[in-house]
Amino acid sequence: MKGKLEQSERQRLIEEGKNLKEGLAALEEDLAKLNDELQQEAQCIPNMTHPDVPIGGEDCSTIRKMVGSSPKFSFPVKDHLQLGKELDLFDFDAAAEVSGSKFYYLKNEAVLLEMALVNWTLSEVMKRGFTPLTTPELVRSSVVEKCGFQPRANNTQIYSIADSDQCLIGTAEIPVGGLHMDSILSDSLLPLKYVAFSHCFRTEAGAAGTATRGLYRVHQFSKVEMFIFCRPEESEHYHQELITIEEDLFSSLGLHFKTLDMASEDLGAPAYQKFDVEAWMPGLERFGEISSASNCTDYQSRRLGIRYRPASEAQATSAKKSKGNLAPPQFVHTLNATACAVPRMIICLLENYQQEDGSVLIPEPLRPFMGGLSVIARKSL
Amino acid sequence: MTHPDVPIGGEDCSTIRKMVGSSPKFSFPVKDHLQLGKELDLFDFDAAAEMHLTYAASQVSGSKFYYLKNEAVLLEMALVNWTLSEVMKRGFTPLTTPELVRSSVVEKCGFQPRANNTQIYSIADSDQCLIGTAEIPVGGLHMDSILSDSLLPLKYVAFSHCFRTEAGAAGTATRGLYRVHQFSKVEMFIFCRPEESEHYHQELITIEEDLFSSLGLHFKTLDMASEDLGAPAYQKFDVEAWMPGLERFGEISSASNCTDYQSRRLGIRYRPASEAQATSAKKSKGNLAPPQFVHTLNATACAVPRMIICLLENYQQEDGSVLIPEPLRPFMGGLSVIARKSL
Repeated sequence: MKGKLEQSERQRLIEEGKNLKEGLAALEEDLAKLNDELQQEAQCIPNMTHPDVPIGGEDCSTIRKMVGSSPKFSFPVKDHLQLGKELDLFDFDAAAEVSGSKFYYLKNEAVLLEMALVNWTLSEVMKRGFTPLTTPELVRSSVVEKCGFQPRANNTQIYSIADSDQCLIGTAEIPVGGLHMDSILSDSLLPLKYVAFSHCFRTEAGAAGTATRGLYRVHQFSKVEMFIFCRPEESEHYHQELITIEEDLFSSLGLHFKTLDMASEDLGAPAYQKFDVEAWMPGLERFGEISSASNCTDYQSRRLGIRYRPASEAQATSAKKSKGNLAPPQFVHTLNATACAVPRMIICLLENYQQEDGSVLIPEPLRPFMGGLSVIARKSL
Repeated sequence: MTHPDVPIGGEDCSTIRKMVGSSPKFSFPVKDHLQLGKELDLFDFDAAAEMHLTYAASQVSGSKFYYLKNEAVLLEMALVNWTLSEVMKRGFTPLTTPELVRSSVVEKCGFQPRANNTQIYSIADSDQCLIGTAEIPVGGLHMDSILSDSLLPLKYVAFSHCFRTEAGAAGTATRGLYRVHQFSKVEMFIFCRPEESEHYHQELITIEEDLFSSLGLHFKTLDMASEDLGAPAYQKFDVEAWMPGLERFGEISSASNCTDYQSRRLGIRYRPASEAQATSAKKSKGNLAPPQFVHTLNATACAVPRMIICLLENYQQEDGSVLIPEPLRPFMGGLSVIARKSL
């Protein structure tokens, strides 16, 4: 029989119990704090890198493909700024007064060119089975972080809204990734392919140099972006598909460009592998980046909580019946690729298609989207 | 100042200038744009995925945000492209504008970024704001300038995204696309000589009425009462179109004559061509007339979400599909109807 405890013994045990309880609460608080810290640190870990990716800085990137050749001009070549001035296509000076540097107004045929580029690109990519979207351009900062960007970093590319947890998007990749956050997608829906048109806003903090004149580096621009959610084993295939679509689009416009397999230091946190396209810009006398296609594998999907339930063959043969007989959900892979970054494309078209008389030819595919216009000519005053 | 013809009083004192068309008769129960959008997979306010209900746009961004999908994207692009094309035919110069502007410019246009219930989003650690309308950057285009008389009138048609906090807005009419934080808009803006502003105000409202008639809408044009003018407007005409799903008229555009309110603040003047120059005995330096403030006017050519509501709700068919009005079809690759997707 259990003996009755001595009063002092009982007291001692009660005390011990109380101490343990308080100690436990304190430890749990510590645990929560440490878990948060662990999460923060873990989020700093970038994605894995594809074994084929060259190790090193930008100059280590390798050329996958070269298309076209630079046009030969029999007259002095003008850059897009000069062409734009003579053809009354832009206003940077007024924009600097109204908004600040690296802002601009597009005027006259440049507006038609922007609309044509967007409409044509949307149309071409939709033909390839992508669902068109327009997206919010203000998003919660938590979503921005989950995509691999850092709104709070010192030299952040991200504009934040005052008295708010919202930010302006730097790319439609962010709201499109967020479209399926915290979801379990049906296997039969995959791959989900979207083509999204949005305006993009970037602080360009820390960017300097001559290549920032004119339209090359600006705070606001229009972009058509491709985004794919797919099964893990298919992401490399879709990465190839995306870069091929880009190469087809730029070839159709008659551009001279090279596709690069970007070196490890240029990947950024989310990308497993990244292909950039650089097009020849005769006015700048160099190649300039016009698009980027990244395979982010499960980096974004883990953070955004996007999973799918694989169709499992084991279901048919398994002797053990689990509840609902469903395979456990897996993270999808996500990919994103620029179909058209309008200002860079405008630079390419103006500089490559300039004529001796100062006019600019419009490439065939865009003419139906510009009401049949075939050339941008000087305005008679 | 206020135009002498403007009715004095609140919104209910606004008078009807014109009534166009008639509300369509439906032989079946009418759906609102939200239901049509859901059935035709055109929007995402809440996204539904396999195992989990997610509220996509409200999760990603907050309430009153949305994604457009499928034919709704084509409809937005068609509306913008068609509107730009139609207004350009009438002699307006097309523009795209910055959507981030200095707060001082916002104020000079007559808006109040720092007011309590301000419509204006501000950028953190910056003097910049998001525009609520292209009126602001277009007005700013010629700030602190003296324009040549021969350039006037300057007529612009600008396409931009617009951002509004909608602070203080409440009520049932805020469901769906009716009141949102971000939208696409095509805006007309005129800089002119003072004696011509009333003429151009008529021109702007006529262009709007032509556009909306072409799309087959039933609408009324109102001469807005004094309390509804806001600080800059001398006179304002609003167009309200019939929205069968909402069972009421909803504002789809607004045309304001701001006379010299904005131009005084923005410092926009012109040098009138003076007849006195030829006859004047006294020769002044350069013989130029002193600069005067121009007048400015602005008018909505197309506010995309409100137009989408009108088109979906007015053109719905019994089988749940939506007809596309003729003028927009060439801008949608020839598409004539938005139909249900086979799954």
